[in-house]
Amino acid sequence: MRFRNNLLGIRIKGVKTFRHNRPLRVMHWVLAPAALSLMASGLYINKPYRNFLFKNMNDARKTHFMAQYFFGLYFLARGYYAIKTRGYRKLFPNSGDIASLPKFSLYELYLNKKQPKYPKYNPLQKLLFIFFAVLFPLQIVTGSALYSTGRLQFLSRPFGGLGNTRTVHYLGAVGLMSLVAGHMYFALTESFSKLKSIFNGYFTPK
Amino acid sequence: MRNLKQICWPGAGGDLSKEKKRLPLIWLGTNTCDGDSISFLNSADPNFMEIVTVLFDFRYLHFVMAAQGDMSTSVLDDTLAQDPGNFILVVEGTVPTRNNGLYCVIGTRGGKPLTALEAVQEFGAAARCVVAAGTCAAFGGPYAAHPNPSESKPVSEVLDRAVINVPGCPVHPAWIAGTLIHLAWYGEPELDDFHRPLIFYGETIHNMCQRRHYFDSGIFAAQPGDPWCTYRIGCKGPVTFADCPSRQWNSEHVSWPVKAGTPCIGCVNPGFPERDMPFFKHLPDVNLPGVTVNANRIGAIAATVTALGIGGHFTAGVLKGRMSKKIRKALHPPGTGFELLETTPAAELLSRIRKALLDKTKE
Repeated sequence: MRFRNNLLGIRIKGVKTFRHNRPLRVMHWVLAPAALSLMASGLYINKPYRNFLFKNMNDARKTHFMAQYFFGLYFLARGYYAIKTRGYRKLFPNSGDIASLPKFSLYELYLNKKQPKYPKYNPLQKLLFIFFAVLFPLQIVTGSALYSTGRLQFLSRPFGGLGNTRTVHYLGAVGLMSLVAGHMYFALTESFSKLKSIFNGYFTPK
Repeated sequence: MRNLKQICWPGAGGDLSKEKKRLPLIWLGTNTCDGDSISFLNSADPNFMEIVTVLFDFRYLHFVMAAQGDMSTSVLDDTLAQDPGNFILVVEGTVPTRNNGLYCVIGTRGGKPLTALEAVQEFGAAARCVVAAGTCAAFGGPYAAHPNPSESKPVSEVLDRAVINVPGCPVHPAWIAGTLIHLAWYGEPELDDFHRPLIFYGETIHNMCQRRHYFDSGIFAAQPGDPWCTYRIGCKGPVTFADCPSRQWNSEHVSWPVKAGTPCIGCVNPGFPERDMPFFKHLPDVNLPGVTVNANRIGAIAATVTALGIGGHFTAGVLKGRMSKKIRKALHPPGTGFELLETTPAAELLSRIRKALLDKTKE
């Protein structure tokens, strides 16, 4: 039994605390390289410049198509895991998180010095997961329509054709890239101890 | 390359006279530039003469017939009375719906204007099948583009029945002639999800393009006229279903846009031309409330805002001393004590106690 260090909302400082279990960490590290590869190759496909990041369009497309399978597998696995373990309750904001959002926002805007602590994810992270939950399937659907243009043509119909589907895919990618950039910034600057937990599963509250 | 006759009538060896079936056909022009009619006249094999005299009982084609007034519209009424459920209706152009369709009058009947809306709905309901010729009739095209003052709609949106879309700006003569002949002799052709015949719209231009190897190799044209892949100067081939690269244009199938050095503009696409413009840019403009901006510009703005947000937050963190505090905290061994977690029973209890104390103090 791993020590989660949360007794009705009281946490002891200086104690090694369990944060991310192995399946979640594995899934995260499947997603991270896949998403970064998709972003890099997607940007090249959108605006190809020779010998920048990729040798040519063929390489960029192959990278994109290979990474998309990992991304799709991640999404299916993560969705299954969230439902099976009922982990979605911790992923998305509840009424308490929404009530706590102003307090957390004041801290992040440097208007309040005291950092509010949360059991696992803070309200902004949970908002981020809502965007992910919407944008991931959107990217998978629009990407599939663009990948198999003939066989999966029905997927482009709700968007009004393949041209519109491509625009939606691009705008969805732009939104995701901004969110991922924000996520990486906060992950790298918020707490080194918590950053460690995505590698080994544990962190030590200080 | 085999011509349309040989494809459609392999048994007859391309001899049209061996087939006797001639279906009545009405071709209505609504809000249209007549480009599709002109393109249709350019059909090479079968040519227009063969289509009119051998293949179909062509009753009405506004663009070429000599009759006018009640004399021409009486042909429509006669067809409706004599051949209900037997004739093919071809509509070229969008159908304006504003003011009961008065924005497009195709003729007079009994001294009263016959609107395109009225005609399409009346003849469309009685026709054996309805074909929308050209992008305007199929998907709306320029006449239904923003701000669409005539409230024009494609044929499928004013009829309560299936419509076969044969888009193109203009429609290729082989696409429309082939569809009509298939309808007459073999019934409805296999259609895609946008009701386009798969025999003509079954694959993207990109996948059949003669310059595809330049795309894969990353050799791109910098301007129209360059002999390389036109992807970077806005070619819509990857998102356009049509057989232009193999069928080609100019009546005798001699060339097509990319072969002539200009990018495909995606004229058979739903949303053309609005969703394909600017033609020489990779992504189209997006209409946001009060402003129209290119999709790529949205990407650039989002990147700038994200960089400014992260940079601003980081700078503020450094200036306020929060970053150095975090680094010190990370380097030092953990202290002892407890911390209260938000959104938990303990935090709730504490909040209630605080509130009760505050209320008591006020009293």
